[in-house]
Amino acid sequence: MKEKLLLVDDEADFLDVLSEFLGGEGYQCVTARDGKEALEVLAKTPIDLLLSDINMPGMKGFELIKEARRLYPALKCALITAYDVRDYLFMAKNYNIGNIITKTTPFNFEEVRLLVRNILTEDVFGLDRYVHGGVKSIQVRNTNEIEGVIQNIVGGMPDLRHKRKFRQALNEIIVNAVYYGAKRERGDRKDSWPQEVTLTPEEEIVVQWGADDEKAGVAVRDQKGVLTKEEVLYWLERNASKDEEGISIGLLDEHGKGLFISRETIDRFIVNIKRGNTTEIVMLNYKEGLYDGYRPLWIQEF
Amino acid sequence: MNIANILLVSIDLPQLSSQLEEHGYNPLVVADIPSIIDIDVPFAVVLIHQNAIGEALAEDMERLYFVSKGAPIGVLISDHTHLSDGLTRALDQGTLERVYLHEVESGLATSRIDRMYLGAGLDTIARAYQQAEDDKELLSKEISLRNRLHEHERELNIMGSITSGLVVVDMTDKIFLMNEYARRLLRIAKNDVVGLAFREVLPDKVSRLAENALKRISGEWKHHEIKKITFDETVLEIAAYRMNDYEHRPVGLLMLINDITEQENTTVQLYRSEKLATLGTMLSGMAHELRNPLSIISARSQMALRKADWDKAWAAKTFESIDGQVNRCAGILNSLLEYTRYKATQQALHKLGDILDETLTHVEYQSIFDAITVEKDYQNGLVVFGDRSRFVQIFLNIILNAADAMAGKGVLKISARADKDSKVLVEIHDTGSGVDAAAKDRIFDPFFTTKDPGKGTGLGLAVAYKIIQDSGGEIWFTSEPGSTSFFVRLPSGKRKVYEGKTASG
Repeated sequence: MKEKLLLVDDEADFLDVLSEFLGGEGYQCVTARDGKEALEVLAKTPIDLLLSDINMPGMKGFELIKEARRLYPALKCALITAYDVRDYLFMAKNYNIGNIITKTTPFNFEEVRLLVRNILTEDVFGLDRYVHGGVKSIQVRNTNEIEGVIQNIVGGMPDLRHKRKFRQALNEIIVNAVYYGAKRERGDRKDSWPQEVTLTPEEEIVVQWGADDEKAGVAVRDQKGVLTKEEVLYWLERNASKDEEGISIGLLDEHGKGLFISRETIDRFIVNIKRGNTTEIVMLNYKEGLYDGYRPLWIQEF
Repeated sequence: MNIANILLVSIDLPQLSSQLEEHGYNPLVVADIPSIIDIDVPFAVVLIHQNAIGEALAEDMERLYFVSKGAPIGVLISDHTHLSDGLTRALDQGTLERVYLHEVESGLATSRIDRMYLGAGLDTIARAYQQAEDDKELLSKEISLRNRLHEHERELNIMGSITSGLVVVDMTDKIFLMNEYARRLLRIAKNDVVGLAFREVLPDKVSRLAENALKRISGEWKHHEIKKITFDETVLEIAAYRMNDYEHRPVGLLMLINDITEQENTTVQLYRSEKLATLGTMLSGMAHELRNPLSIISARSQMALRKADWDKAWAAKTFESIDGQVNRCAGILNSLLEYTRYKATQQALHKLGDILDETLTHVEYQSIFDAITVEKDYQNGLVVFGDRSRFVQIFLNIILNAADAMAGKGVLKISARADKDSKVLVEIHDTGSGVDAAAKDRIFDPFFTTKDPGKGTGLGLAVAYKIIQDSGGEIWFTSEPGSTSFFVRLPSGKRKVYEGKTASG
């Protein structure tokens, strides 16, 4: 049975081409021009995924999702926007929305296809979903291996853009996966984290890396699933918000900045969570000039 | 009051002298003005034959006061005929002083007399003369005050101490007074300019201004007129006042000149920074707005590239969409170019409706306007004169505020109509939240904003206010929740055209 998508946008032209594309991907697409029309559709037709524009006349995307979830608690939802996702982090946190697709130039059909597929199938883990080419894999069993692993990965990707930042982000993510993910050390007690940690086979961290024509990427996966979508949204929003003097609210925080900075410096920062089971962070950097525009918010939790 | 002694300067009229004697006056005859100094008795009225008046009359007048030892004096300058006619009549009626007053008032006064009249404050004396009948004490006080003022002025150099330029032109177009500072501001090298025609002394721009003011000074005149002129690198503000005598008759033009270059530069900077800030807001809005059509174009093209079989209808739909979205991008870019195109102070005549429409094109494409209905009601034939971009800036700021107040939903009504006193009135009405009480008093203050940090400069309305004020207009508003109107009243451009035509002849 074809899954049914409800696409909502006040840009008729955009709705037309998006449904043409997703229709071609095997989905059945219904469209609505605003929130009110979308709710009317939802009342008549069972829908698997609601994909709505944020900034529409009348009801905004966030309000539509809130109302739709109230009426249909099992409905899967994502937003799409031409604007800066950072400006919506506060709303995303408050409405508990993990996925905001961005309208990039060139338009990133692959990303839309993948996101829609991921949300519907909840089959999200593994770098091979995101990078089409050979994917290599390595286990991290001890903190003293981290430096070598990073060296190996970044050294093996000569075309990678913004290498230094990528290396920094990768280090941050692996270290967090070890201490916070696997060992459940408290983030606010970084000072008391042990210098060296050895992981049991049940705690091992898997790091994958690979590249294709468009991008290069890594995935860091733990086997615990401690991190939650709520936490990720909290830290992202906290660090994106500024106080009255324009200073980041999270500036003096001892921790929590890693997620935010990584998301800021990496083209695609994807968080996949199976609660109590797996946490995976995928980081992708595109080749020069591809998919200019704002970065999507991509947090999948189930 | 002893007016028995009457001084006759350069008047050889035996008949007149005997007439005066008959009426109990004592005529004292001197050959010329400088000889007055030798008279050592108090005298009240001086009769001077016109021919005796030299260039240095003003100075001589001062000497006259000195010689008269503080006593009130009247001066009559005329030719023989008038003198004898007037005097005979006066003497017959026993009202010599009245004659004197009468003659001055009725315009017997030649330009020379005007000059005297202004210089020596003859009218003051005449008035004092009349008052003397009632209050001699007051009179002597006034005279002594005047003398003291003269002395003090000399001692204290009041005119020289003011850091404003002061120029007085009398009704005969001669410079009557010019202080040191005025000479400096107007770059006048010549030292002694008093008594020279103002056209030969003042720089062209100032001269034209004085000329204009003098033409109108006897007619309808507000308490003062302020004009700004750019003079080399400096900007001067010239306030023109009508100088009156105690009877409220115009006796000259007083110009107070101030160097406002620094102040003006600050204003220009304020305009620029506001324009830049507006530009910044517009640019970021633009970037946002371009994102939509660009992703549609990109999506359509990618679909076309990967599609194997194009049927005609599909191809038409795809390329119509691409074409439409490309035009949309172009429209967004054009609106920005329009905004940046106009240079500062490009003065011209503009149709008010065009300016309002142009302003709307700058903002209408923004998504905040998606759910705002714009209603327009412009009266035909309205024009304004000035810098187009500044007018646009005024309305842009008001309209953007209105859109914000409506949170992107409501009715924006823009109407323009002719108003009284050759003005035009624009009303921008919105159905938004209204201006709250706390904001009402501060709304035109620079840097006052109710918007989120980074969303507004707080300069928008302050700059609008300044531009409107500079244009000789007014801005005000009425507000309650759900109904706010901003009113902008500007001088009609038609008046400007008319003035221009008159000035150029």
